[in-house]
Amino acid sequence: MKGLLRNNLYAALSNVKIFSVVMFLLGIFVVVMDNKIPSLLIGYMLLGIIGFHLNFIASLRKEGSAKWSEYKLTAPVKRSAIVQSYFLSMLLWLAVGMVFAGAGAALSIMLHGFPFDRNTDVFMLFVAGTGISLFMGAIFFPLFYLGGEEQNEVFLVISLLLSIGIIMGITAFINTLFPARISTIQIILAGITILVGALFVFIISCPLAVAIYYKKEY
Amino acid sequence: MENILELRQVSKTFPKSGFALENVTFSLPYGAILGFVGENGAGKTTAIGCIMNTIIKDNGTVKLFGKEMLDTDTELREKIGVVYDGGNFPVYWNAKQLSAVMEGLYKQWDTSLFQKYLDGFHLPVKQKIKHYSRGMTMKLAVAAALAHHPQLLVLDEATSGLDPVMRDEMLDIFLGFVQEENHSVLLSSHITSDLEKIADYITFIHNGKIIMTVSKNDLVYNYAVMRCRESQFFALDPGDILAYRKRDFWIDVLVSSGKEAQRKYKGVVTDHVCVDEIMLLLVKGERV
Repeated sequence: MKGLLRNNLYAALSNVKIFSVVMFLLGIFVVVMDNKIPSLLIGYMLLGIIGFHLNFIASLRKEGSAKWSEYKLTAPVKRSAIVQSYFLSMLLWLAVGMVFAGAGAALSIMLHGFPFDRNTDVFMLFVAGTGISLFMGAIFFPLFYLGGEEQNEVFLVISLLLSIGIIMGITAFINTLFPARISTIQIILAGITILVGALFVFIISCPLAVAIYYKKEY
Repeated sequence: MENILELRQVSKTFPKSGFALENVTFSLPYGAILGFVGENGAGKTTAIGCIMNTIIKDNGTVKLFGKEMLDTDTELREKIGVVYDGGNFPVYWNAKQLSAVMEGLYKQWDTSLFQKYLDGFHLPVKQKIKHYSRGMTMKLAVAAALAHHPQLLVLDEATSGLDPVMRDEMLDIFLGFVQEENHSVLLSSHITSDLEKIADYITFIHNGKIIMTVSKNDLVYNYAVMRCRESQFFALDPGDILAYRKRDFWIDVLVSSGKEAQRKYKGVVTDHVCVDEIMLLLVKGERV
């Protein structure tokens, strides 16, 4: 597993290096700017949480340019371990994204005050970003193994759009359930429900991707 | 004789292309090098895919170290070094990163041995693989295949793209590798001269079917081509003809024993045969 995780790290490294620099510069800009209109901070947080994750998935296309996908199967690792390493890497990059988003939000709030209506808005932003990332990974990998590495970009776009759609759909459903002003407890419960649901789908997706990968030939 | 690798009646059909590997059967004993010869598209890589489980066979058995290798048999794969034709590793790596990944994959990965091969092959450690020449990437793949102390090397066109000097150096390494009696090499290639130099056995494959497996000594000392005129050809016993091919003014006939053919058919010119010529006769020639 250690070798597979290192492989995943090297695959994403060049993309992530550039993205980190962009996020760092953008973070300085967001922190320096007044946050009375919070859309910039919201955008930064979502970009951070989803962006690293997205970059990692996009970098998988590079593996297909060599015979590495085939070679890996000749190494002393199980097919399930290869898929699990991808899912674990996604969680690690999600954590990195959350650190960037959290740091940017914390610095902005410290310097300019709290820009949102409610305290729970920050939590819900993390829920939305994490939910989109988890759904995206959960949708992407089964498609990736079904369709092949050449269609990586299409599957990435499909999974990103679908995951945004799912989060928006769940949010709309919750708003329909509670048409009056929703209480803080209800918001937190809704957020936790989304997170648990996204995590559940993410976890279920792993054995599904493994099952598809077992039939994959190189 | 005990075999490190055994294929029995292995079949695989690709419905889209129509290509099929049909009842492939051959074995590789411990301490030997088996050359796997065939033209492009003959089924060499598919057969290797079936051996390594990168392709799921339809029928038959593949035994490695006396056991059918399943996905869970990671211990068996520890003992196998593989080199594929073309880039084996992502081009954005350098040799140091490759070593770091392999160290996490193979329990027996030997960083100092890998470094020794890198030095010997004059491969820069920090240069990205994308800046390597084709020959350099092949050398890197061989170094990686050897650096985890395998018992079986599976080489799919591993010498293609190398210049003659480097090829010779590689062949020496493979010969050195099989000096250990429990080591073996499966070398798939269409560079038949390489096989003539190092192989103990040669298996010919054509259109997904094994045509013949022969020991190199048998091939060198016994197999022969008779250059027959038409009248001489028609006088031959069909049982003696392995394959024949019509040329402009004569017919080449492959026989399994040149000496016996010379004794039996006086006046027919009989020549020693090289792997190339056997392959041409088996692939382009006809059978009785």
